[in-house]
Amino acid sequence: MLFSRERRSSEVEAAALPHLSDIYRTATRLLSDSTRAEDVMQEVYLQAWKSFDRFETGTNCRAWLFKILFNTLHHYRRKWFNIRMVKESEEVIEQTAAYAPPVPERITDEEVLAALAEVPDDFRSVVLLVDVEEFSYKESAGILNIPIGTVMSRLSRGRKLLRERLSGVARSYGIGNVTQEGQSA
Amino acid sequence: MNVISHGDSACEKIRGYLDSYISNELLVETNHEVLRHLEGCPTCAAEVEARSRVRTRLKAAVESQQVPAGLPIKIRQMIHRRQSRFLPTAAWSLWAMAAAAAVVLAAGIWVTRARTGMPESLDVADRAGQDVFIQKVSQTVSRVLRVGLGDHIHCAVFRRYPKNPPAVAQLAESIGPAFQGLVPVVQASVPDRYRIIMAHQCGYSGRRFVHVALSDGSNLMSLVIARKEPGESLEGLSPSTRASGVPVYQGQAERYEIAGFETAQYLAFVISDLNAGNNLLMASNLAFPVHDFLAKL
Repeated sequence: MLFSRERRSSEVEAAALPHLSDIYRTATRLLSDSTRAEDVMQEVYLQAWKSFDRFETGTNCRAWLFKILFNTLHHYRRKWFNIRMVKESEEVIEQTAAYAPPVPERITDEEVLAALAEVPDDFRSVVLLVDVEEFSYKESAGILNIPIGTVMSRLSRGRKLLRERLSGVARSYGIGNVTQEGQSA
Repeated sequence: MNVISHGDSACEKIRGYLDSYISNELLVETNHEVLRHLEGCPTCAAEVEARSRVRTRLKAAVESQQVPAGLPIKIRQMIHRRQSRFLPTAAWSLWAMAAAAAVVLAAGIWVTRARTGMPESLDVADRAGQDVFIQKVSQTVSRVLRVGLGDHIHCAVFRRYPKNPPAVAQLAESIGPAFQGLVPVVQASVPDRYRIIMAHQCGYSGRRFVHVALSDGSNLMSLVIARKEPGESLEGLSPSTRASGVPVYQGQAERYEIAGFETAQYLAFVISDLNAGNNLLMASNLAFPVHDFLAKL
């Protein structure tokens, strides 16, 4: 046990630091605040250091860190924002919006990120995990501690909401004013 | 809110599959059904293209964000600070540790000296004898790693230590004003059982060194720092680890394990009679905080 803590620090550095950028950008997108994201990152790595005994070498360290990130974010959201979680009843609204509006062909990173920021947290989380970080549904379910079916439904609705927000950008360009085939503008 | 007014129920059905189609998640039959529909429906084909574009643009936009330059360093420092907070704080445990350390250290130094391979008849004051021994031990190790090894053997191995090592504050004073901040950095970066038993500036073979010696009662370890001479670098060797972010190089000379790292101005060596893995681990733990300290000088 002589070197256990020191070895742990080295192992945390070696196993967890390479994923820093992935976790940081996800934290930033979910908090919409890079300063707070930095605070959260320190907490994530502190928690990783503390609980590294429970991490099984050879398993997916990246997914384990994302799970810590979402647990930490949950705590911080309650502390900072007292954020109200999206209820299933509110999701029903999205189910009715089956039409996918046109998305502009040319769009900047800033516009994409602004549209993403308007997607509610629960949906945004899943979109980030699956479409950006390329986690499987099963991994995402483990990270968020929700059933796989919920991951799939939130992903579908999250993507749709993002397209709708982006279509707002299209409308601001005048693109959405054109009546599409089969669509009442 | 958008209202569905698409008259084609086939399109509506296919659009329900499009995200899964783009992700290549559909069963073969459904996939064929979608493909057949897309061949005859330019609207849905355009929709596939638009959805694919959104995913690509989203990933690119999120990934365009850079991590602030100082964040990895902050996190490394936080981990090391956290490690140092595990030093015992309860008064009783400090007293117990001090008492145990005094007993173990006295026995350990005897053991250490017996295990150094130093001929029993050799007088520690016999400088010529020391040099012969150091030369013999050093011959298998690369020239740049010998720099620290010679001083370790000369100054830490051939030495009688007081029964009770001085307090950290006193050790910090003895190493000189420029390096006194190094003593707590070193103490915080080694396992709790290691105590600094010596900290000073010394000379060997025409070079000056900053030297911190530590013991856990049975093993002796030195951190030896020397200002680089022109052309001197560890870069010609292959690093054994970069776990701390600072490359650490390794060598062995008989029973001494050597691990070295460097800054632009300094060479730093961790030399001990630990096994290769533990010596490297010690060096790896010291590398980042010591590198950080030296870089600020």
